[in-house]
Amino acid sequence: MPDVQALVGDFVLKLKRRKVEGSHASARQTAELLRSVVSQQRLPHVGQATVLIDAVRAVGEQLIAANPVELAVGNIVRRVLHIIREEDLSSTTTAMEGLGLSAGSDDENAGELEDRPALSAAAVAAAARSTLRAPSLHTLLEDIPESAAIPHTSSSGGDSEGKSKSADKSSKGRKLKHDVIEAINELIQDIDTCHEQISEQAVEHIHQNEVILTLGRSRTVKEFLCAAKEKKRSFRVFVAEGAPRYQGHVLAKELVAKGLQTTIITDSAVFAMISRVNMVIVGAHTIMANGGVIAPVGLNMVALAAQRHAVPFVVVAGSHKLCPLYPHNPEVLLNDLKSPADLLDFGEFSDCMDYGSRDGSPLLHVVNPTFDYVPPNLVSLFITDTGGHNPSYMYRLIADYYSADDLLVQRRA
Amino acid sequence: MEAPKSPQSPNPNPGLGISAYYQTRAEHHAVVTSDWLAQAQAAVAPPSPPPERAAPESGRPFSVVEEFNFWRKKPDLAEAVAAIMALAAVIQSSTATTMMELEIELKKASDSLKKGDRSSISLTAGCDLFMRYVTRTTALEYEDFDAAKLRLIERAEKFGEISLKARRTIAMLSQDFIFDGCTILVHGFSRVVLEVLKLAASNRKLFRVFCTEGRPDRTGLRLSNELAALGVPVKLLIDSAVAYTMDEVDMIFVGADGVVESGGIINMMGTYQIALVAHSMNKPVYVAAESYKFARLYPLDQKDLEPAIRKIDFGVPIPSGVEVEECARDYTPPQYLTLLFTDLGVLTPSVVSDELIRLYL
Repeated sequence: MPDVQALVGDFVLKLKRRKVEGSHASARQTAELLRSVVSQQRLPHVGQATVLIDAVRAVGEQLIAANPVELAVGNIVRRVLHIIREEDLSSTTTAMEGLGLSAGSDDENAGELEDRPALSAAAVAAAARSTLRAPSLHTLLEDIPESAAIPHTSSSGGDSEGKSKSADKSSKGRKLKHDVIEAINELIQDIDTCHEQISEQAVEHIHQNEVILTLGRSRTVKEFLCAAKEKKRSFRVFVAEGAPRYQGHVLAKELVAKGLQTTIITDSAVFAMISRVNMVIVGAHTIMANGGVIAPVGLNMVALAAQRHAVPFVVVAGSHKLCPLYPHNPEVLLNDLKSPADLLDFGEFSDCMDYGSRDGSPLLHVVNPTFDYVPPNLVSLFITDTGGHNPSYMYRLIADYYSADDLLVQRRA
Repeated sequence: MEAPKSPQSPNPNPGLGISAYYQTRAEHHAVVTSDWLAQAQAAVAPPSPPPERAAPESGRPFSVVEEFNFWRKKPDLAEAVAAIMALAAVIQSSTATTMMELEIELKKASDSLKKGDRSSISLTAGCDLFMRYVTRTTALEYEDFDAAKLRLIERAEKFGEISLKARRTIAMLSQDFIFDGCTILVHGFSRVVLEVLKLAASNRKLFRVFCTEGRPDRTGLRLSNELAALGVPVKLLIDSAVAYTMDEVDMIFVGADGVVESGGIINMMGTYQIALVAHSMNKPVYVAAESYKFARLYPLDQKDLEPAIRKIDFGVPIPSGVEVEECARDYTPPQYLTLLFTDLGVLTPSVVSDELIRLYL
């Protein structure tokens, strides 16, 4: 499968050069790439899920290493791994249920003569399910073969597949692959339609004559506001321009084109204006597992201003932005430093770049970080495609989307 | 401020670097200062050699409390593990022939255990957890009652292993949060926290640890002993120096006696105070606790708990009519905790209630 390797190399290069930007684009393209990885992968007869998982994991490792700050890539890799595990599990469960059923019917006929398995098929399936889910108090006393915290490549599917001695293995293999691809297609569709599902909820949150503040430009926010406007809500929007890239200007133009009352303010005027604002609605780069947000730079300030004046701070984000990791030291580890050209025109400060100073290094430095970390206690509400959630509830959504085994995609050397 | 006595004895001991004011004060109130460490050493030594097994088979009726006390004496065994071991022994010696009978017998045993020590939260939590497991394990899943019984015993005996594995898992999970050059404040002695720091030290992380003294049982001294043996830089603080040193601290690590439904923790006296100081100075408070310490309690305030009384040695006779606060632990509400490291993963405090509800409802 040389062409898949080429595709992967191409995408890695794009990520490294920051040619792909924004979590939506990266998420979508990652999903598409993984779909082709899955479809090109040749599968052996036994342990298909393991092979698929290993293939996806290997590609995922490269992608994540290419741009570790673009957490959406890692999220999608983990989602796909979870999909494979789930599809594999559902196929083995159906197989087991068939086994259990036949055992049950035999039992009715032959009474106690049948030597049944000590555990019923349902119990086995339940145990298998619990290995997929994060460990819980529920399963503490039941024996689960592998610990979820230790990254493990051998899935439970591998050996149970071996045990169930089905004759039509090849057709079954095709079925697993088919199911996985189908599920990835659904995932891609979800990523594409998340804006619509989020903006459907707009009227519940934006009320007549309210003043909304946002910063920078987020497609999700734009669609959210427009959806409320379409439902005949009249409200005003303050747009902080979002220095240094001034994406807020673009958003303001788009909103005006939709007929929304829009006011542009500078980022430094947020505190001055916040007392008139009813709600802050912003987009996010990533939502972390503790409910903290990695967001465009400047948003922490907005969040603090909102908290100071008790204004609800609402974050809208698609579920592909949900990251199962906890931030430790997020200000340093999860940031990207952009070119100083955003701040300074070329040549404008050329006299400051005098290399003749004492130790040869220029006296003027420019730092242009991309992201801010907003701690969970500053966020009032998250609106995702599945509805509105409290920051402390994020872990629950994450438990639905990811399996605990995949939290560490990269194997430590 | 100079000592009030300075006119009489202007400089009683100039050679030593100890403040004259405090020295005179110490002499005044006869507070032990010199052989302080020696005493601590003595306190660290195990109080008594572990007693030999009380031979419950020899004719005497089986007593679950004795069994529990036997397991409890083992230094490396958590309370919840001891409780579950004791309940397993109940199953072993039980003559019940149906699941229902066995459950009733276990219920009685666990009630008598709980009554024996009302203040131990992990004992209660361990009993509840095991009872719940027994209730959910029906004999229907197994060939017969004996198989179910055997399985229960087997799982209970595995529990000690589960508990040790839980500690390792917690230590692994918390490694990402300990970064090079950080300063960690710990309070009291916790086996899990020790395991976390041990693993961090063996991963060649560079960090230093501030240990509180942990009056009156000086558990902090014990922890500092262990850490110093590992080669970790340690600084001992008296319990009241926490706020003074907090700006040097990067994170706080504490263990827990029990984790309650609100997501708060019950831990050694002083934890609440430290969490409050940390919160006001914006430092993260991490709790390392095994999930079998999750207890179905919802304390509304500090007094809403069975007090765990312990004697406090002030070194001097207490004047008659003076009361002493003898409670050994306090309750830290969830809003002052940042994250919980458990064997179920890294959790926010609100997950605790969720886990408990999933198990018991």
